[in-house]
Amino acid sequence: MMVASNDFGTTKVAFDKVNKFYGPFQALRDVTLSVTTGEVVVLIGASGSGKSTLIRCVNGLETFHSGSLVVEGFSMPTIKDLEFGGGEKALRQIRRGVGMVFQQFNLFPHKTVMENIALAPMRVRGKSREEAQATAMRLLERVGLRDHAQKYPGMLSGGQQQRVAIARSLAMEPHVMLFDEPTSALDPELVGEVLDVMRELRTEGMTMMIVTHEMAFAREVADRVIYMDKGAIVEEGPPAQIFDKPISDRTRTFLSRVLKH
Amino acid sequence: MIIATLHSWARRNLFANLIDSILSILIVTALGWLLTVFLRWVIWDAYWQRIYESLRLFLVGQFPEDQTWRAWVALALLCTAVGAVLLPWSRRLGVAIWLIACGAAVFVLVPPGLDRWGGLLLSIMLTVVVSTASLPLGILFAFGRSSRNPSLRACCTGYIEVMRSVPLILVVYWIWITVPLFMPEVSISSLARGMIGYTVFNAAYVAEYVRSGLQAVPRGQREAARSLGMSNWTISTEIVLPQALRVVQPALVGNVLDVFNGATLVFIIGLMDFLRAGQLILVDPAASGQTNEVYLFMFAVYFVIGSAITFGSRRMEAHMHRSTR
Ligand SMILES: Nc1ncnc2c1ncn2[C@@H]1O[C@H](COP(=O)(O)OP(=O)(O)O)[C@@H](O)[C@H]1O
Ligand SMILES: [Mg+2]
Repeated sequence: MMVASNDFGTTKVAFDKVNKFYGPFQALRDVTLSVTTGEVVVLIGASGSGKSTLIRCVNGLETFHSGSLVVEGFSMPTIKDLEFGGGEKALRQIRRGVGMVFQQFNLFPHKTVMENIALAPMRVRGKSREEAQATAMRLLERVGLRDHAQKYPGMLSGGQQQRVAIARSLAMEPHVMLFDEPTSALDPELVGEVLDVMRELRTEGMTMMIVTHEMAFAREVADRVIYMDKGAIVEEGPPAQIFDKPISDRTRTFLSRVLKH
Repeated sequence: MIIATLHSWARRNLFANLIDSILSILIVTALGWLLTVFLRWVIWDAYWQRIYESLRLFLVGQFPEDQTWRAWVALALLCTAVGAVLLPWSRRLGVAIWLIACGAAVFVLVPPGLDRWGGLLLSIMLTVVVSTASLPLGILFAFGRSSRNPSLRACCTGYIEVMRSVPLILVVYWIWITVPLFMPEVSISSLARGMIGYTVFNAAYVAEYVRSGLQAVPRGQREAARSLGMSNWTISTEIVLPQALRVVQPALVGNVLDVFNGATLVFIIGLMDFLRAGQLILVDPAASGQTNEVYLFMFAVYFVIGSAITFGSRRMEAHMHRSTR
């Protein structure tokens, strides 16, 4: 329902030799990666390996120092572009087509669930209040939270909040969805309801980049799994290959550590 | 039952051991004695007639007698304004009513001339105008100081730091003197100049409170808003500022109280506020015997208004929390 036709060929996101530094620390090393329409890419790796940095580049929450990143045909401005005052427009253009879901939900606590979802369509896409609220209601129904529209986020459980956050992103009708550890802040019994919504998105053909520690889920939904270490992509491939016959020793060590638990 | 509870409470808290018991008895005795003396003075010895006769001067200063109705209308308008922001309804509507009602109050009081305002009327109107004007200014400076633009940031930081490091009287006096120098052709009343000076001073404090609120908004809020494609303007006005103001609301109300208490300092430019009115009453030899009455009265008025502001703040906080729990 939400996936628009793809006007930019089959490549939605294309990293080419992207490098990123925090001061002297290199957070991304020569990252080259492309994601095609409808593909679900799952990023795994130890904490601090640069997964968040990588997916946050896709909607410009992080800038990078060298290389290129093209999202839906728009070239992501580099740090230099932004320094000289350019690029802000391209950035907002890109963000209209890319939704993001955060580990900490980041719902707006002073706005109701309905307002959280309807605000951006009204302010960014210029929709009327009625239209935005109707869409919001449809999305709430879809994530199973119809009755919570008038509540404030603080009155909901973590799982419900995260589903609202997903609905809020979807309201902007994105072509690509980014998920940065969407279930890591949730109690175990609430993880399932969020994963269900993501599964549904997948069956609808949404292009997704997901950072997660839910390995079973990764194996189930991923078209491609990417293992990262120290800012670099170490290994990528279909889940069966990465999880069952990893080529790299580092991947094997990592998996043996996380799969034990 | 109640007596038993009281008894056990007293046992636990007042007479837990020997030293506690002695202290409790001493303090309770001393307080009781002071209170008796005080009440006896208030009821029998004090000469309240003087306060009663000077009430007009206390409340409105030299405001023309035949125009007193204006003060009453203004009072009603101000009560409406306060009610509007205290009621737990739409905040936007509350602010709108506040602005309209306060503006109307000023409008009603202006015709007799700003120079005729005095006493409590002056103190309250000064507080209302300065606090109301400081808020938007303070918000602008707070955003300026947090801006990415270095020259804007430097200007705002400089302004805030200078204002915060000099005394109020200095700023008020300085603006009072310099405004006519720059604009010799228009005459601006002392009170208006005083309000400008006080606002210029107070906005710097408001800016610092607001800035601390801006910093208290988690980074994820801005990131979520940005990832939805919102413009910086929308992010600031719809996402960051409302949350920041909630955080610092108690501090901002405390600032209103500071403005009210600091308003007495405008006597430096020849205005007669509430405290100054009391002093003038005492200058009259006929009243010189009533120093205690006059000061007790002023104490009581300041205390009542201060408590009312604090109480209002608590209420606002309470229904703010109810809505975002
Ligand atoms: N704002 C920052 N300043 C400095 N270092 C950072 C910053 N953000 C992340 N890093 C560092 O970059 C590395 C990658 O971080 P991140 O992408 O968050 O890893 P992951 O999401 O895989 O846990 C980490 O070592 C982290 O310490
Ligand atoms: Mg991370």
